[in-house]
Amino acid sequence: MGQALLLRPKLSPTEKGARLFFLICALVALGQMLLIMVFLLGEAAGLFKTTSLWDFLFSSQWYPTYDPPEFGAAALIVGSLAVTFLSSLIAAPVGLCLAVFLACLAGRWREWIKPAVELMAGIPSVVLGFLGLVVVAPFMREVLDLPTGLNILNASVILALMAIPSIASLGEDALTAVPREIQDASYALGATRWETIWRVTIPAAMSGLSTAVILGLGRALGETLVVLMVAGGAARIPGSLFDSARPLTATLAAEMGETAIGSPHYHALFALGVVLFLLTLAFNLLAHWLGQKWRKR
Amino acid sequence: MVDDGPIISARDVNFFYGAFHALRGVSLDIRANQVTALIGPSGCGKSTFLKLLNRMNDFTPGARLSGEILVAGRSIYGQDSDPVSIRRLVGMVFQRPNPFPKSIYDNICYGPRLIGAKKKAELDALVEKALRAAALWDDVKDKLGKSALELSGGQQQRVCIARALALEPEILLMDEPTSALDPIATAKVEEWIKSSGMSIVIVTHNMQQAGRVSDYTAFFYMGELVEFGPTMDIFTRPREERTENYITGRFG
Repeated sequence: MGQALLLRPKLSPTEKGARLFFLICALVALGQMLLIMVFLLGEAAGLFKTTSLWDFLFSSQWYPTYDPPEFGAAALIVGSLAVTFLSSLIAAPVGLCLAVFLACLAGRWREWIKPAVELMAGIPSVVLGFLGLVVVAPFMREVLDLPTGLNILNASVILALMAIPSIASLGEDALTAVPREIQDASYALGATRWETIWRVTIPAAMSGLSTAVILGLGRALGETLVVLMVAGGAARIPGSLFDSARPLTATLAAEMGETAIGSPHYHALFALGVVLFLLTLAFNLLAHWLGQKWRKR
Repeated sequence: MVDDGPIISARDVNFFYGAFHALRGVSLDIRANQVTALIGPSGCGKSTFLKLLNRMNDFTPGARLSGEILVAGRSIYGQDSDPVSIRRLVGMVFQRPNPFPKSIYDNICYGPRLIGAKKKAELDALVEKALRAAALWDDVKDKLGKSALELSGGQQQRVCIARALALEPEILLMDEPTSALDPIATAKVEEWIKSSGMSIVIVTHNMQQAGRVSDYTAFFYMGELVEFGPTMDIFTRPREERTENYITGRFG
């Protein structure tokens, strides 16, 4: 160890000061994260004085204002997962195709489509939610003859609209980062443009593409306003695409204003926050893991 | 080595990148089963000429060509010629080793699979043949499933050679194939070139290399073909002053 220390360059006071400054900035970020976690967990813990963890996770009876109240979050969790999953079924293929188009095929179309995609990413979610409320919902109600157009399918379509630009943009970055040299190698072996995209470019970008999809999903999972506006808000386990649902985020946003601080309902909402946090964390870990896994090959 | 006459004929080839006149009236016959080196200072058009021979300049925006290039008797820029089938006839090895991020086996099979080779036994045989031809079989026969990126630079370049050979091309183009390699790896690749017996066109900025590996040498300068002839003649008694100045190191 003594030798190793000798090899370290001597830092001037300015360099030491700069290093300390950046270290403090980094620690602030880390500290914030830890404090948020501690706060969330601490406030959520209060719930488990009255409700068991099992009931909270697996009961679908969410009656926070009854006497006695019931805090079964299963319907909310399923609601969140349902809209996220369904929106990914729409957004992943469309977003990835858009990424392939922008990176490999667009040519001069690119200068029109790329800004359009970026603009789409910048649309505030409330505007999209409004679109779902006044356009998609009546359309679904009439065409599909449903009691309400505010349902899982509607929310998923709108969430997909939000996720598509981020999947396309991240995916395009991954595809354009594929070295020109290996694409040339493919052409030189007599591959067509399509064969090159399919057999070389996409496999080489797989790590970035899977990260793009998962991060897009994470965005859909955390989105609040859209699901609050168009998912319908029924805290029941949905049986079909056309049922209303009440995702975690929507529940938090709708109910937080009406609860007394320190009440069981208040603690239950924090517990929902913890669930949401863990789900998001899981998505990020999955994105990271997929990125690593493909990179190794 | 048998000299079978020209396998590539370029006739009055002019090539433009936008307004830049990159090749000026180049006419050149490249002989079958011989190694032909293209030499000249940077920007002289030697790489541009090489890439015309398998239509790799097709992707360059603003590229224009006049004149005619015949490969194995077929006009490769004619109306009904198809770049994809030309590239199967004319293989290419690039400046930097560029194996695909796949296994050694899958790298070699890439070309054959494009033209529909599927049977395991057939592919196995092809892989062995190509790797033997590239003098790499003994080094890698026990790790065909490993990623080609785990090999050394010189081995990667020979994977690229084997990958091109797996399509059994008539001609192999090599664009400064050793410029990213160390001296030992360079020697191995050069040895391979000399012993291959194939029709090879190699671009090199290293005149010693041209002298070592080639039977014929073409000297390009400012987009013109200045001189072409047997390597021995070009290096010992060049006809043109510009050739002599270049090979004696007065410029370039």
